[in-house]
Amino acid sequence: MQLKYIGKDITRPDASGKITGRVQFLDDIKLPGMLHAAILRPDLAHGRILSIDTAEAEKSPGVVKVVTGAGCDLVYGDNIRDLTPIAVDRVNYIGQPVAGVIAETLAEAKAAVKKIKAEYEPLPVYTDARDALKKDAVLIHENSGDFWHLPGIEPIGGTNIANRYTVKKGDVEKGFAEADTVVEGEFNYPFGSCSAIEPHGSIAWFHEDKTIEVWSSSICPFIIREEVARVYGLPISDVRVHIPELGGCFGYKSDITVEQTIAYLASQVPGRPVKWVATRKEDFLSTLIGHGIRTRIKIGAKKDGTLTALKTEVLHSTGASADTGVHVLIAATHNSTGTYEFPNCYLDGYSVYTNTPPVGAFRGYGHQESQLAMERMMDILARKLKLDPFELREKNYLGPGKVTSLGETLHTTNGDIGKCVEIVRRAVFSSPKKKAEDDYYYYGRGFAALMKSPKGAPFSSKSCYLKFNRDGSVSINMGGAEVGQGLRNVVRMVAAEALKIAPERIRVYTEIDTQFSPWEWQTIGSMFTTQGGRAVVKAAEKAIAELKKTAAIVLRSEVDRLDYDGDYVFVKSDPTIRVPVPDLGRGYTFPDGVTVGDVVHTTSDSRLPLQSNPDENGQGRMGITYTFGAQACEIRIEKKTGKVIVDHFASSFDVGRVINPVQIRGQVAGGVMMGIGASLHEELKFDGEGKALNPAFRRYRFPTLKDAPGKQTIEFVETPGEIGPFGARGIGEHPLVGVAPAVLNAVYDAIGIDFFEIPLTPEKILEALKQK
Amino acid sequence: MSEKITFTVNGTPRTVDIDGGEKLIFILREKLGLTGTKRGCDDASCGACVVVIDGKAVKSCVFPVKKLEGKEVVTIEGVSEGTKLHPVQKALIEAGAVQCGYCMPGIVMELYALFNREPGASDQAIRDALDLHLCRCTGYEAIWEGALLARKYLAG
Repeated sequence: MQLKYIGKDITRPDASGKITGRVQFLDDIKLPGMLHAAILRPDLAHGRILSIDTAEAEKSPGVVKVVTGAGCDLVYGDNIRDLTPIAVDRVNYIGQPVAGVIAETLAEAKAAVKKIKAEYEPLPVYTDARDALKKDAVLIHENSGDFWHLPGIEPIGGTNIANRYTVKKGDVEKGFAEADTVVEGEFNYPFGSCSAIEPHGSIAWFHEDKTIEVWSSSICPFIIREEVARVYGLPISDVRVHIPELGGCFGYKSDITVEQTIAYLASQVPGRPVKWVATRKEDFLSTLIGHGIRTRIKIGAKKDGTLTALKTEVLHSTGASADTGVHVLIAATHNSTGTYEFPNCYLDGYSVYTNTPPVGAFRGYGHQESQLAMERMMDILARKLKLDPFELREKNYLGPGKVTSLGETLHTTNGDIGKCVEIVRRAVFSSPKKKAEDDYYYYGRGFAALMKSPKGAPFSSKSCYLKFNRDGSVSINMGGAEVGQGLRNVVRMVAAEALKIAPERIRVYTEIDTQFSPWEWQTIGSMFTTQGGRAVVKAAEKAIAELKKTAAIVLRSEVDRLDYDGDYVFVKSDPTIRVPVPDLGRGYTFPDGVTVGDVVHTTSDSRLPLQSNPDENGQGRMGITYTFGAQACEIRIEKKTGKVIVDHFASSFDVGRVINPVQIRGQVAGGVMMGIGASLHEELKFDGEGKALNPAFRRYRFPTLKDAPGKQTIEFVETPGEIGPFGARGIGEHPLVGVAPAVLNAVYDAIGIDFFEIPLTPEKILEALKQK
Repeated sequence: MSEKITFTVNGTPRTVDIDGGEKLIFILREKLGLTGTKRGCDDASCGACVVVIDGKAVKSCVFPVKKLEGKEVVTIEGVSEGTKLHPVQKALIEAGAVQCGYCMPGIVMELYALFNREPGASDQAIRDALDLHLCRCTGYEAIWEGALLARKYLAG
């Protein structure tokens, strides 16, 4: 296919607004009469609220209202309704809202919050699912079996299990009986923070006419709209949600979290907008955290490396709410096969309530957690079978005709893992390792294959509104949240290609406003390019059909005899008989003023085709558009300090079609860096009492420039997919998925020590070297 | 205890009432409406709030406004001329360094101060300056390349 715009380095439309500081983020918004909120958080992670004394705070200067949860009976959640906007009679995690002060200025609100005295009766604290699962464990939600939830979610009442999800494929016992070798391991991917540089925040305004207006730095305006409307008993159309510019997301600004808290505070001062923006500490502890996943894995294989059986147990410490974490667990469980076909699987996942902040989406969404286990075990299995790790993997890769754990048969259009592997092998393993060690360093190389499937929902969709203007330029409006990933440019470039119009003549929406924006479920799961791009193509095709319809009248022809080239609609057999596209946008006006045809504006939407709920075996069409990739690295370990230095990191993904080379490289380079951070130093730590030990950038160390790999090789394979525009698949989350196992496999190569958890800090390496 | 303080912002003299304890970021964003300067961390660890004071890159979230008397402040709003971007801004865009953009004003100001002081700043000097900034989107590759490109533009 000859493409004119796709695949070119076209500068993103939002670059100049961002580089000049001109675009408006949530914290930049000021509204008439706006009040400010500050929130009291508990000093223990689990306890009953005995009393909250707000008398002093109420007398504090500038205070308009002090709000507690007494009498609040609102519950929310878009998957499991296990959230309340504010603690009612009990706190379940550090960071939970206990009381809010609304004041004329932020300084006054903060000063007053300090004057609130709350007393608690402590309850036992569980920060790890293994403890919350013990028989005598206190229930974090006593009525969890009664919570409303989406179909396919299985809470076990009377326990801390918020959901159990099990995949059964084939006969796992038979599979292990056929195996010549069995390997087992247990892995841990600890808590982390998405840590966008823009903290999360929200503004809520209960109007005199009973409508509600909300602003949020969220990627889910329509979920916020629907959930706020439901909670306050309003028609959905009476809630209006605005999303200004977003300063990064990486997962945790999804679903609905702080918005309900701020709405509840604002409901107490109707008529005035209330603004709250997280402090950095609140951003760590009062929105969503990530991961907290332990994977126990058992693999059966024949002598020649043929895989026969897989058993995994995925244990998710999901925090005080499972609403946002339940699908992370589901994704982690059915993707725990990694890129391999196992004829027999028993994959058992548990979301377990614990006393940490709610765990939710983190770029990668369950994939990197369980694939850390799989990719490390592949190296371990290869050693045991005395096989080359590449050969062992190659024997078992998923591909056309192979069947995933979900029972989905793959096709050529799902991509080619083999080509991705070849690219990173060439980049990192083409020559023998130069040296194993010298006076200062140990040297190692590691590899990991990976698979990512989007976590959608059967009803999820993305919509597009496309309008031709009278000069032939085009305006496009969608509900997809631009968090930095560059989706506005993807929309523009896909539209340009589909409409055969230069990108400079296509203007894409900036902020989202549910009053005007077409409906979108939420911008998650690396799905926008695929699903949103498909919606753009559909809207463009409809617009071209409209243009032809009017042109058929003007040219006294018929639609099927006409063609379109972006500038003209013309008669196929005689292109000199034509009408310029700008003349058709608002209908065609003849010289005498008579106008025919319709205004050319179209709408479209795009689902993940045939996506289903899981069946009784946990299977179904839930992966839909798989993306495969491979990653590898060359590292050094400093003997003196134990520090791991990544000299070269190579990544390749079969993305179907590269839309914009600069942007896709940026996605991968950034994702790999995030993965290196998780592998080597990032961990959000809690002590035994559930108190966070490092909720600040200085102590939660995420990578700086000096941690960047010496070199990144980033190449793509383009086997067209069947859903996305011009064959494109997603890429947003994938670059993180194989990083940790590639690094840990390289560490084994360097020092011969198997690690089963991250982050691999210098202290852990020095300690392990000493033990050795 | 209100007092008046006078300084210039982007070349314009300004006098503002202060209570004494405020940090510069508060004055810029809340009193002067210069919201291009971003708040990310509150403890001088992310660099999103960097502005230039008397030629030096400074983290405005910890800079006490009391020390501002008579000083010259340049913020992101004072870097481009009308709609004409500064070479540092142009270079960062061309290198693909802009993703979410939240860290960009701070990084632009850091490089603006560096290259004003040292147009041919060494790789090491650029590395040291950029290492004071957190970016969660790019993995720093494009920011680094943008900085090198900016140096080239400013030299030529």
